[in-house]
Amino acid sequence: MATIHIDPLEKRWIWMVGGMVVIFYAVQIYYAAVHNLHPPSNVEVIDSAKLHLSEEFAEDKLGVKQEADGSYTVTMVAARYGFYPQEISVPANTPIKLRIASFDVLHGVHVPFSNMNTMVVPGYVSEVHTQFVKEGDFPMICNEYCGLGHDYMYSKLHVTGAKS
Amino acid sequence: MKANNMENKIVLSVAALAAALMMSPVMAAEHAAMATKGPSTNVSWTAEQMRFVANGDKNRGGQLNSEMFCASCHGDAGVAPTGNWPSLAGQRAEYTFKMLKDYKDGKRHGSHSAEIMQKVTQGMSDQDMADLGQFYASFDLPALPTGVTFDAAQADMSKAVIKRGDGKRLVAPCQSCHGSNGEGAVTDTPALAGMPPEYFIKTMQEYKSGARANDVYSRMRLIAKTLTDDEISQMAHYYAGMTAK
Ligand SMILES: [Cu+2]
Repeated sequence: MATIHIDPLEKRWIWMVGGMVVIFYAVQIYYAAVHNLHPPSNVEVIDSAKLHLSEEFAEDKLGVKQEADGSYTVTMVAARYGFYPQEISVPANTPIKLRIASFDVLHGVHVPFSNMNTMVVPGYVSEVHTQFVKEGDFPMICNEYCGLGHDYMYSKLHVTGAKS
Repeated sequence: MKANNMENKIVLSVAALAAALMMSPVMAAEHAAMATKGPSTNVSWTAEQMRFVANGDKNRGGQLNSEMFCASCHGDAGVAPTGNWPSLAGQRAEYTFKMLKDYKDGKRHGSHSAEIMQKVTQGMSDQDMADLGQFYASFDLPALPTGVTFDAAQADMSKAVIKRGDGKRLVAPCQSCHGSNGEGAVTDTPALAGMPPEYFIKTMQEYKSGARANDVYSRMRLIAKTLTDDEISQMAHYYAGMTAK
């Protein structure tokens, strides 16, 4: 019977690598469980070609709306090459629900320094819940390559002080 | 029956042209002031809609082009005889289809020429629109009409925005949507190459003022609003010169 010779140095590294994998999984599980960070999962279909004819994403329905409970709903459309409305303003430290759909191809939406980051897949409505803690002006950036104008695809988000 | 139908259309369009040409510009302005409610267009590019336009009959479109007197402004082969009207040769069939539909639905308005087109399209069927779209698409992109010239120095000045855009103004490069040769793109992004500068400027100014509002989600209006009159004129010369021999 042939025996495999494993060098002690190799053995040590096998244990190290195994340990690292366990640590990475632990970190992910910890954040998912304790900080509630996870990929947005909202399965809701919509016909992207008819987005402008739909009830929710009609041209005059987009923008920021305050709900009865004081939270805000932001309805937006991602289309080559921009997010519409191009400029929105929401208060800090207030629950925000972003609902966004694509008019054409796959886009992504990402706001730096926040957990707002989701793919915008044609045919589906993406929904993200967040609260902006920092006041200031932030870009909304497309982070899924969507065509030649992709690197110009961003819009403006103003996070304002406490609500009046 | 079919011939009869065609005859009706001809009578209608002649009457419409005559009526529209007599109408005062004041009336056109009044109409534009009535803000159209609802979506900026009723056209949506579903797979069926794209297939429908793709199956348009260019030969029948060519017949309509002369019988409905499209040719009197847009030329026999889609090249406008003057700078006042758009050349349609080489234009994307989807774009032509959408414009005709938008005119008929009252979605494209805001100018005297739009009033004329609204009247002309009243008697048209979707099939007529697809056929005309395929007819114009069957030609190469046009050269400028004789007598209309472009200014190479101005064309040069606009290259920065056309090729690089301007992030500060949230303006993507023109060519990222309209193509690096001004040939347009799927589905209904129009070709711009060889467009008479006068017509290009008129269109951009209408987008800028909001008089023309049939671009879904205001995408063209938002861009036009950030451009200066000089920039618009420079772009007009850039695209006009694109097919210059
Ligand atoms: Cu994008």
